[in-house]
Amino acid sequence: MDKPSHLSVILDLSPTQWALCAQSANPTGITLQTFLSQLLAFLNAHIACKDENTLAVFGAFPGQSGMLYSSTGEITSARTESTDANTYRPFRTLDSTLMTLIAERLESYDSTTEEAPIGLVGCLTKALCYINRAITTSSSSVTEIEGAVASVDPRILVLSVSPDQSSTYIPIMNSIFSAQKLKVTIDVCKIFGAENVFLQQAAHLTGGAYVQVERTDALLQYMMMSFLPPPAIRQLISVPTQDRVDFRAACFCHKRIVEIGFVCSVCLSIFCQPVPVCSTCRTKFPIKTLQRLRDARPLAAAAPPTKPLAPKNGTATPARPG
Amino acid sequence: MAPPAGRRIGDDFVDDSDSDVSITGLEDEPSRTKSKGKGKAIDRNKKDKGKAKAKEQPYAWEASYTRSWETVQEDEAGRLEGAVQDLIARGRRRRLLAPAAAIRRTIIRHLVLVLDLSSAMMDRDMRPTRFDLMLQYAREFVTEWFDQNPLGQIGVVGMRGGLGERIGEMSGNPQDVLKAISERHKLEPNGEPSLQNAIEMARSSMSHLPTHSSREITIIFGSLTTCDPGNIHDTLDECLKDRIRISIVALAAEMKICRDLCEKTGGQFGVAMNEGHFKDLLFELIPPPAQRAVARAGGPGANPAADLMIMGFPMRLPDTSPPSLCVCHSQMKSEGFLCPRCLAKVCDVPTDCDICGLMIVSSPHLARSYHHLFPVKPYAAVMSLEDTPDPSKRCHGCSVAFRDTPSTMFGAAGEGMSPLGRYRCPECHNDFCTDCDVFVHDVVHCCPGCGK
Repeated sequence: MDKPSHLSVILDLSPTQWALCAQSANPTGITLQTFLSQLLAFLNAHIACKDENTLAVFGAFPGQSGMLYSSTGEITSARTESTDANTYRPFRTLDSTLMTLIAERLESYDSTTEEAPIGLVGCLTKALCYINRAITTSSSSVTEIEGAVASVDPRILVLSVSPDQSSTYIPIMNSIFSAQKLKVTIDVCKIFGAENVFLQQAAHLTGGAYVQVERTDALLQYMMMSFLPPPAIRQLISVPTQDRVDFRAACFCHKRIVEIGFVCSVCLSIFCQPVPVCSTCRTKFPIKTLQRLRDARPLAAAAPPTKPLAPKNGTATPARPG
Repeated sequence: MAPPAGRRIGDDFVDDSDSDVSITGLEDEPSRTKSKGKGKAIDRNKKDKGKAKAKEQPYAWEASYTRSWETVQEDEAGRLEGAVQDLIARGRRRRLLAPAAAIRRTIIRHLVLVLDLSSAMMDRDMRPTRFDLMLQYAREFVTEWFDQNPLGQIGVVGMRGGLGERIGEMSGNPQDVLKAISERHKLEPNGEPSLQNAIEMARSSMSHLPTHSSREITIIFGSLTTCDPGNIHDTLDECLKDRIRISIVALAAEMKICRDLCEKTGGQFGVAMNEGHFKDLLFELIPPPAQRAVARAGGPGANPAADLMIMGFPMRLPDTSPPSLCVCHSQMKSEGFLCPRCLAKVCDVPTDCDICGLMIVSSPHLARSYHHLFPVKPYAAVMSLEDTPDPSKRCHGCSVAFRDTPSTMFGAAGEGMSPLGRYRCPECHNDFCTDCDVFVHDVVHCCPGCGK
């Protein structure tokens, strides 16, 4: 329990979504400035908790992603700031580096062109690469018995304002599985917008918390209470968990949510009724199976058809590219 | 046994995780020195080396010495660390250079793991004993196997006292399989093994399976004998007919019948040289195998290996729901999954419903297999930075700084190694370090640059 912890924070910095968030009246929105000042307080609290705690901040920008700060010094601000006798030095480095880089990045965007989708996947994978390296280097330098617990206790916190993008389903799932493998907890804090099904699954599968912020003026309190304690301590203080996670699948042919589906054994496409040819991989299925499945189906067909899914709600398995 | 002084250097490279056959130059040294103390090891090593070089020389001792110590060079500071890092990286990267061509892989797998529980397993040539090591690796194998093949099923069969013994039923739940091989005292080695009995038992437990799933037998074999009631070649023919793929990891030495079993059924055969090599051989069997061409030639037009499967996607009951009995363990529980066809409550997915036999999965399980279907393109090694106008200073994945000067290692430019330690994605043209290259392809399956 006394292990130092590593925190990778992923900031969703979509200008459009933040503009919407700032204008929103119900629930009351929050401006990017206010958010950042609360965030800095939270990040400072994290590095202040323990001397060995490490921190990395990644920013997801439209169509891009990048590291904004790392306590091991990969990213440094170009400006050499004047020392301030009243501020703890690491706080000051963190604050100024983060603010400068975010300002630089956001100013370079052209507000007239349409916004590209947010680079959340890039951030997640980069954070995982970073944690992977941190784990491998720390375990090799300690030279303990192989398989010993890594000396860092890593987790990822995603602060999201953007909605789901169905095209990123597979990459996000892949990131979730690698996070499970590395024993990284993914926490999600949804500051603005509708529920994000992919991130809900991410939090659920990695044992993290998914928090939908209801009162944005209390954002700092949400973060301090739910995300500051490392996972080891969270078992003692009950952190809100997501009870209702939808793991049902949607068929590829009509996008209906199915309870009993027909799955192609080659590419794992899901169909709501027996089809002779797989629409994804063009595999032909034997006629015998089709007949057998049709015979077995009346039971399922008798049930009232499930209502088609609204696209915004997000599906557990949207259509795959290719 | 105190290791001879000459072994030191070799030992540093050959730590458990990275000891590969691929670092052949170095492997020679520890195995040669080790064999001084162990009579048995001599045969084994010779056998294996002979196999690898069988095409050029008939015998291992006719091969010229690999002067492994000459490939290691000190850097300016007189340290070996850089050279060692390079060698380790090379071994890891070689694994990635597998063919990138599109192959159809079997997603739904059925495997029977056959464990040798004969008295030969009490041999101490692998620490602590062959038996303990086998159990330990088998557990890791099962965990990793289910991670990569979430829709697969594993059954466990033991060979002891001349009989095949069913240790674990075919199950899709890793916990069940792990539980079957967790109790060491129930698996105490004893008597002679019987390959034929074990294979027959494994075969019969897979006879009912549909054609679109693969049938595989993986045998961990430590003995040099087998005690069979009939002709094992008949069993081999039956396996061929049933399209069962047999793979064997031998711990002692190569046996003709083992090699025949593997080669004729399209499996893999290997003799473990040491602990690390044992693990490597076993773990090579984890990624789903390419589907065999035999299966496709079966019928013109329709592919007998493809089929439509019926699956149920259950709702998860919340932890706060009223408790009820589950059909799998008959325990009172509030959480669980309801079979969508018969509404029976099961504890865990993926599984086959105990009441109506419907295959119950959740969408993440299907998603876990997608990376086999959409792999990341291999990164190209960057040889020089001359044609790159503005090279990035840091790895695009983990932001570690690249080295400025090319490595001076002998032969570092060959074998797909980049002298600069940079590997470039063909899609997004970002550079990655060796660690991230391996991590992205082995674990994440998603390029941080292009997000595909």
